[in-house]
Amino acid sequence: MSSDDAKHAALEEAKREVEEAESLTGASAVAVHATTGPRRSPLVTLAWVAPGTIWLLLFLIAPLVMIVLVSVWQKTPVGFDPFAFTTEGYTKLFDTPVYLDTLKDTIIRALIVTALCILIGYPIAYFLARGVSSIRYQIALFVFVLAPFWVAYVVRIVAWLPVLGRQGVINYFLVEVIGVRAEPIDALLYSNFAIILALVQLYVLFMVTPIFFQLATLDNAAIEAARDLGATPAKVFREVILPLSLPGVLIGCIFVFVLVMGEFATVRLIGGGTIQSVGTLVYDYYKLPDLPTAAAGATILVAVMTIGVAVLLRFSKIREVV
Amino acid sequence: MTLLWYLIGVLILVVPFAAMVMLPIKRSKPVLTVYFLLFVVFMYGPMVAMAVLSLQGTTGSMTLPAKELFSFHWYSELNSSMSVMVAVREGIGKSLWLSLIVAVITAVLSLTLGMAFRRQFRGSGALFYAILLSLMTPGLLLSLGLSFLLYYVGIQKGEGALGYVPIIGVQTVWALPFGFLVMMSIFNRYDARAEEAARDLGASNVTTFREVTLPLIWTGVFGAGLFGFTLALNEFERTFLVSGTINTLPLQLYIITTASVLRPYVYSLGVVTILLSFLLIALFLVVSGLTGRKKTRAVEEDGSGVDAPSMTPAAASGD
Repeated sequence: MSSDDAKHAALEEAKREVEEAESLTGASAVAVHATTGPRRSPLVTLAWVAPGTIWLLLFLIAPLVMIVLVSVWQKTPVGFDPFAFTTEGYTKLFDTPVYLDTLKDTIIRALIVTALCILIGYPIAYFLARGVSSIRYQIALFVFVLAPFWVAYVVRIVAWLPVLGRQGVINYFLVEVIGVRAEPIDALLYSNFAIILALVQLYVLFMVTPIFFQLATLDNAAIEAARDLGATPAKVFREVILPLSLPGVLIGCIFVFVLVMGEFATVRLIGGGTIQSVGTLVYDYYKLPDLPTAAAGATILVAVMTIGVAVLLRFSKIREVV
Repeated sequence: MTLLWYLIGVLILVVPFAAMVMLPIKRSKPVLTVYFLLFVVFMYGPMVAMAVLSLQGTTGSMTLPAKELFSFHWYSELNSSMSVMVAVREGIGKSLWLSLIVAVITAVLSLTLGMAFRRQFRGSGALFYAILLSLMTPGLLLSLGLSFLLYYVGIQKGEGALGYVPIIGVQTVWALPFGFLVMMSIFNRYDARAEEAARDLGASNVTTFREVTLPLIWTGVFGAGLFGFTLALNEFERTFLVSGTINTLPLQLYIITTASVLRPYVYSLGVVTILLSFLLIALFLVVSGLTGRKKTRAVEEDGSGVDAPSMTPAAASGD
């Protein structure tokens, strides 16, 4: 068989797997689970569906709808006047450049953090999924890496204070131990650098996990076939492993991007009040209290997130066509 | 000089990635192993630094170098009569109770949703996306929206028994997708034949569920509850704007951290919550490990084995 045939075969195999992987990650995930149960009457179905649905309607959907509604309602001294329509909240946001500038900063920050999470998270997931041969060790290491996720988020932020401060671990190391700097770096804490560092640490697990699952369930046959037929390691990675893991990367990107866009506590605690995000801005309006303006800020944020997610999904669609 | 540091940073990020792309896994493994260790330091380093600083003596400060190691001074401080510490202890008490309630509700709702999704139903797609949405909605927005809703319907935040409802509400929304994932992974490898047999023998729906289904999946339900407990215990942003005067442990920590002068008891409090979380994870692993063993034994004994729920990466994932 010529090397062209080999390339072709591996490519076909990979494409088939990509399709399979995508069908599993999409909406059809519901259908996969939907045939294991016994037949049942509509009433029984309703009984199982209702509690969770009511809970989500009450504590998830209704609050999100409220944000949009309040953003176009009249402000009162302590709250808002329902059904008194006005766009004041929005005009107030755009009176000064503060909101738009902050929005721009927040988007850039979210993009940087997402990119760094891919760059750091992918090799880690790859190592866990393909570099550890024993399943036992694999699960143990995975749980070990994942454990910080269950630690209180505020505690994880607080833990950065002794590291990043003027006399923190990093400066201590630079000045006292290696002596490469005579003076500590002031800019470590309360800087964009510090915020991004902490955010990457807080959210990288949202990237590692989906990529890990995608890579761990990857069929070795496709890789071996491609390798046996003479594809270089780089080619195997580019044409087999990477395309098969892209759904995981995509899910990770959506999580990290959306969650970092809505960040509040990290920016407040590590930014020390000097650096803003849309989240802290919304909170400041909420504290005033100017609820409609806070709601308007939040609505725009949701809109931007939705556009971001749509772009990401679109990007994956284009790849499917090609 | 700064440029050199940037260069080193970029190299640390790019070299492992390049090795992964260019080399077969056998050759890139050493590089990736070192990188993995660096990653572990990145994830755990700050917590270790915090733990060390929490073990300082009376003169200890918030930063290095650590003074008078090792002493439990700042831990005993947690037990003192200072008003901050009284508030913290109240916070811990409230958090534990709240988390317990959230755990029970999460377990029940994960169970019902898990049962619901065993068959397709009208709107199952929409409900599935709603569950995903609860995972993806930033905490601050959820908190903000719910506080609007409370104002709209005229419920005073943090007052009376009703004040706990919104907190339980948002914390459960946060925990639900995880509990749901656990139940999905359980039903994914669940053998429905036992149920059919029971029904063929004339058992009613309720009896079948109580006598057959529930005993087979209870570890999953328990796991969902544990997820609920841990996530609720550590929840901050969703609780932030709806709690009123009810300060849970993470809220207390936030208040202490943003207000006035910081003392190392912030660190000892942090360490205590970390230990508590890890204890809960260990409990989760032990429980799922037990069922895993039961499954193996069942297979050994009769060759077929009841497909009992076991610890899977999906169950442990968290996202």
